[in-house]
Amino acid sequence: MKETTNKYLIVALLLGVVFHGSSIFFTLETTYDALIHLFFADHYANSWFEPWNYKWYTGFTVMGYPPLVHQSIALFSMIGGLKFGLFTVALIGILLFITGVYRFSLLITGHRTVAGYAALLAVFSSSFVETLHVFGQLPSIIGISVLMHALPEIYLWLKTGRYWYLATSLSLIAVTVTSHHVTPIFGMVFFIFPLIGMLIMDHSTEQVNTLKAVTFRSFINSFTKLFKRIITFGIASLIIIIGCILPYWINSKNNPITQVPIPHGSRDNFLEITSSGLVFFLIPWGILLLLLPYIFYRFYSRRYLFFGLSITILTVLGTGGSTPIPRFLLGETAFNILTLDRFTLWASIMSLPILGEFAFRFVQGDLKTLMQSKFGAVYHRISGGFLASLFVGMTIFTMSLGYFRPSQPQKIKMLPIVNFLNQDDHDKWRFLTLGFGDQMAWLSAQTNAMTVDGNYHSARRLPELTTRPIERLENSKFKGVAGIGSLQQFLTTPEKYNLKYIFSNDKFYDPILYFCGWQRLRQLENGIMVWERLNVPPIPSILPKDDVSKWQKILWGVIPLSTVLIAFLLNIQMLLVNALKTKIKASPEFLKFKSNYSVFSNSILKVSHIWSFILTVIFVLGIYNYYIKNDAQHSPENVILAYYDALDFKDFETAHQLINPENNKTIAQYMLEVSVTDGLLSSYAKLDALETKIINKNDSLATIKVTTKWITPLEKIERVDYKSLTKLNGKWYLDSEEIDTDLPPDQLYSNNTTSYFNQGRRRITTEQTHHEDVLKQPVLEVLSAKLVKFDKSYAIIGEVQNIDNVPADIVLKGTLYNDNNKALASYNAKYHIKHKLMPKETTAFKINFEGIAWSQTQDSIPKAFDPDEFTPIELEEQPTKFNLQAAGNVSGSDLYKQIIISDIEMQTQQIQGTLFNSGIQEVTIPQLLISYYNSDKTLSWVDHKFVKEGIRQQRKQSFEYHLIENISIKIINDSMENVFVNGLSNNSISNKIIPHRIDNHINSKLQPINHSEFSYIKIETNAYIGNPN
Amino acid sequence: MKLKIIYFHILVLTCVLSHDHISDRREDNTFSDIKLLTDKSVFQAGEPITLQFSSTNNSIAPQLYCTNSHGSTLLEPLKKGTLIDYKLPDYMTRKIGVLHWRLLNNNSLIRGSIEIVSKKQVAHMETYIGPPSIEAGGTDYTMLVVIPTDSLDNPLPDNTTVVTKHQFLTKISTDTVKTRHLIAYKNINSEIKSGRMLVSSESHNTNSKEFTINVLPSIPKGFTISAQRPHDYADGNQQTVFSTSVLKDSYGNVVSDGTFVSFFITTNNGNILKSYGKTIKGVAEARMIHPDHQSQWNVQAYVTGMAESNTITLTYKQVFKEFNVEFSDNNRTITVGPLQSFMKQMAPDGLEIKLYIYKNNELLEQRIKFSVDGFAHFKLKPNILENDTYDFKIKTAGIEQSFNSKTLW
Repeated sequence: MKETTNKYLIVALLLGVVFHGSSIFFTLETTYDALIHLFFADHYANSWFEPWNYKWYTGFTVMGYPPLVHQSIALFSMIGGLKFGLFTVALIGILLFITGVYRFSLLITGHRTVAGYAALLAVFSSSFVETLHVFGQLPSIIGISVLMHALPEIYLWLKTGRYWYLATSLSLIAVTVTSHHVTPIFGMVFFIFPLIGMLIMDHSTEQVNTLKAVTFRSFINSFTKLFKRIITFGIASLIIIIGCILPYWINSKNNPITQVPIPHGSRDNFLEITSSGLVFFLIPWGILLLLLPYIFYRFYSRRYLFFGLSITILTVLGTGGSTPIPRFLLGETAFNILTLDRFTLWASIMSLPILGEFAFRFVQGDLKTLMQSKFGAVYHRISGGFLASLFVGMTIFTMSLGYFRPSQPQKIKMLPIVNFLNQDDHDKWRFLTLGFGDQMAWLSAQTNAMTVDGNYHSARRLPELTTRPIERLENSKFKGVAGIGSLQQFLTTPEKYNLKYIFSNDKFYDPILYFCGWQRLRQLENGIMVWERLNVPPIPSILPKDDVSKWQKILWGVIPLSTVLIAFLLNIQMLLVNALKTKIKASPEFLKFKSNYSVFSNSILKVSHIWSFILTVIFVLGIYNYYIKNDAQHSPENVILAYYDALDFKDFETAHQLINPENNKTIAQYMLEVSVTDGLLSSYAKLDALETKIINKNDSLATIKVTTKWITPLEKIERVDYKSLTKLNGKWYLDSEEIDTDLPPDQLYSNNTTSYFNQGRRRITTEQTHHEDVLKQPVLEVLSAKLVKFDKSYAIIGEVQNIDNVPADIVLKGTLYNDNNKALASYNAKYHIKHKLMPKETTAFKINFEGIAWSQTQDSIPKAFDPDEFTPIELEEQPTKFNLQAAGNVSGSDLYKQIIISDIEMQTQQIQGTLFNSGIQEVTIPQLLISYYNSDKTLSWVDHKFVKEGIRQQRKQSFEYHLIENISIKIINDSMENVFVNGLSNNSISNKIIPHRIDNHINSKLQPINHSEFSYIKIETNAYIGNPN
Repeated sequence: MKLKIIYFHILVLTCVLSHDHISDRREDNTFSDIKLLTDKSVFQAGEPITLQFSSTNNSIAPQLYCTNSHGSTLLEPLKKGTLIDYKLPDYMTRKIGVLHWRLLNNNSLIRGSIEIVSKKQVAHMETYIGPPSIEAGGTDYTMLVVIPTDSLDNPLPDNTTVVTKHQFLTKISTDTVKTRHLIAYKNINSEIKSGRMLVSSESHNTNSKEFTINVLPSIPKGFTISAQRPHDYADGNQQTVFSTSVLKDSYGNVVSDGTFVSFFITTNNGNILKSYGKTIKGVAEARMIHPDHQSQWNVQAYVTGMAESNTITLTYKQVFKEFNVEFSDNNRTITVGPLQSFMKQMAPDGLEIKLYIYKNNELLEQRIKFSVDGFAHFKLKPNILENDTYDFKIKTAGIEQSFNSKTLW
């Protein structure tokens, strides 16, 4: 019999290439994973055989991910660059997927037209579209596609026992495992085991002539007959799976993933977190949801029984945290490491042959006949149109997901950053990106500079990272307080990581950068702000690495592409014969087992209708609930929710519409009022939680107590507001707030100030900076320093003065020692210091010793980590001495000192006061540094407070400060013996520059307080200016 | 491990033995058939150096091993009959110091050394100076380090004379120092005046480039302050400007621009207010907004640990002694005002008015409003304050009025 080309497959391939091939250029780069694979590819392109990569996480090994896809991209990048490689491999993946689905469907159904339908539908199946265009999981796609190609070969080997098929199937398994390690392992369980079951079924069918006649006994009989082949295949594939990526397994064993689990949407309860439900359940299933009864009906028929079991488990596992079953089935560890969306993906791919079958029967088979005879041709057409539009709609929706809910920030032009890093030896330090999303991987691929961050969290090694449930520092704000907590450790002690430059694409992080002692360098032409930190040494030229033996490197570099080569050589003949139809070939064994498509079960049609009806009802109810919840003015609580929501997203027009129209506040007036409010809360806070409580309510008026929790880069803020609402024409409105009407007396202000400019290198040369161009480090003097014990933690407090004639940036590093001079802990001053000092200015300081929290991951980690509630370091021994290193560097930035204290009123346990901005810069976040003194006027403690509201020029802002209570502070050591300034002894410097210092000079100007422990305080001010001009 | 130690001992033993062997041979020197003809042992850097030997045996032409601080090399012989020449490479002849050589002759040991000295002329002055800024007063100093070098970058021999020169204000001083251990250095102390010092050096008529040292003023000493204000009323709106006299160090130098001066204001109830100023040409200015209530301020300024000013006293007068309060709209609207300032003008916008609402002597609520055009309105909503009798206290500009038993309906 002459075989004809399958037109459906041809159409599917053409459509697939045109549709996906053209759209990947717009989607792939904004997906979650594609750029990470690109970074790995860049690694292989530069050092194929060296698995150690220095660029991320202070060094990591790429042996943590199967290399085939990365190496292929790297290979193609030799022709046309990295992105060319990426798109080429993606195109190959698309082709492999479509043909894979075709072969898999042909294997399952034994019907060429059905397989053609399946291939055609696979092109637009929402799970594939999502995996490629939203997630960008190329290795996953290639892995599953090649696995699908392997399935017929496995079947044929088991059926015929021809060693040729064993070779082809194993070669394809090898390609699968080198492209994605998880796929063959789970593929074994979920695809190959059911396949073997089906094969035994077929075998016994042959023995007893009909499928119906297959009994358990005949099944066992066939199983024993085939056992040798099965076990041969099993052992051989196990060897292949372990052998081909042996270095991966060795690495996993040596560096087990002992990190805190990172939350992933696929583990959420989809009913609670509906966005995760949409992305990880609704979209991958798509139209298949409607056909679930049919799919299960088909898979639970006798021949496919094992596929039925498999797809059931996959479906259940794919529900994530919605039911407790996945957690129970997988165990706690696996549940927390695996991303469960892959199970849904596999379930949907497994359903594709049945979807093809359904389409075939619906379009030209028995289902059409049944429906037309039962409901008439019009109904058939309408439901066909309905299903088709649903299918297409789902595809379009999935494709556009990245457009409407971008998973990534706007595309950033990397060239200015790359140029910056290449300039002036900037790549001799590590850098960090903030707010770049997965584009940081693309930046890393383009530059030689290294970052402390990274984008492959399984490879993280620093305990600061592995102990926190965050995937990247870069997007730490989305990980709430835990993320910020991890980030601030890097910002406070950057010299530990040689971290000098930060590229910030998100204003949110600005305050934490400022208060950790960073300064703005300049804005690049792509809008990215560069921050730098002074006094950070460059990266040493020799960096540590975990080396692996040479044979592993060679294995890693050679095997993956060889598997492709071997698989290609083994399968090319079959491919060519199949494609070109050069000779007539016996049809493969599985085509003998055709399903009977003559009578469509009446009951399954009924069940499908009922199921569709149920789904429709659920859908409509969902939409209705959504509407009621979001109808802003339905109830006072809704108004509050909608108002805060609008404010959080800076949607001021919506917010204004919720304001009582009788307040006569125009949008222009409202916007004006919004625009003059600045500060930590209004500019840098992210709403975390909102609670409303109706204080009192009648028909037309209501008062609501609104408790809001905000995450700011600096601290967690809880705020209580009382809002009054009015009902007008059946709608609730918010009454507008009072605004400060303070009017400064003058229209125009002038201000004289000294500004500073540091040339850097005066001569334009690429040589090392000339010694004459190195500025002298400003001389500082530590006026006092002492080690104190505060409850169970330790801190170094004191006072430091810039005694030079130039402004100084100050870095204070404290180290604690025990009696045996063993260093116990080391940390830098963070918030409790003015990092920039004018000549002769003093600042109080405090160095809190924060542990790299929870160094043992097994330790119970508090669910809600609070950045204010810092984690005290756990010291095995008692610190008794300390060493303090103060380093000054000339800095001309952030020298605004015009926040003054204009009024103070002492109350019990509280100070009420007013700050006045006497300068001409708008202060975004004022900070108070409060030093506590005992009755002898000895410094005993240092505290701080961020004032939540900003202060405009020439205006006042009131503040409240609660004195600390119930604390026990013990001074352990106040010896100044080990205090050093710029590496020299503090005493000798002090004696030289200020031999006749007036000690405790301003002790007469301390503010007396009523307090059980302390008698005086001193308040200093510091200010962060968000937009200096 | 043991094996290693054994090997090490064998090695040491071999070395010792062979050394003895060599010493024995030295005495055979005179009997060897190769003799050094070159008698010059001191060369000037850059001068070509050829070591010439005579040989009785034509077939012998050993290599010459030579080593100096630059490195070591083997030289091939140039045979001219019975003469053997070894021409030292340029890079070795350019570097001063001792150059050791040795003939790699199997029969006998012939070795020696030559000395290469620097050229007589100074070509470059390698100079370093630091720190680039010092403090006036005579105790702080900067150190100038000079290394006179010849055209081949070799330091000149010890005791080369270096003249250091520095100009400060109107004076130019010169000093003579000699190089020792190849370098010459000079500590240049500051003088009591601040200013800019230019430093250079000279040796054998070759001059260095110019260096700049900033002599910065020393720490400030006592100063005085004064205050300037548009009026002496506590209107909570105008500003008082405090200025210092010109801050100088004890030598009369005006302190550096940017010197930080803290102004402490002690109010009549003992609270401490603060303002800050940075000097420009020695004068620091700090601003403070007027209080909104009658007050007396004692102001003193400090440069912490170094200097302080006198104390000046300022009094701020109450702008109004009383204010008008009206209840209307079922007592649910409270109008405060007109708030009239010292010339009966309406108080500037933004004057803080606090309303305290009490019920049975218990504070229910505190509200703050800011005056607009001399008035402030409080609206008491029925859903918050039910129809009942309340006590009210209103406070502004440091004075308060109470209204007891007001009924809202």
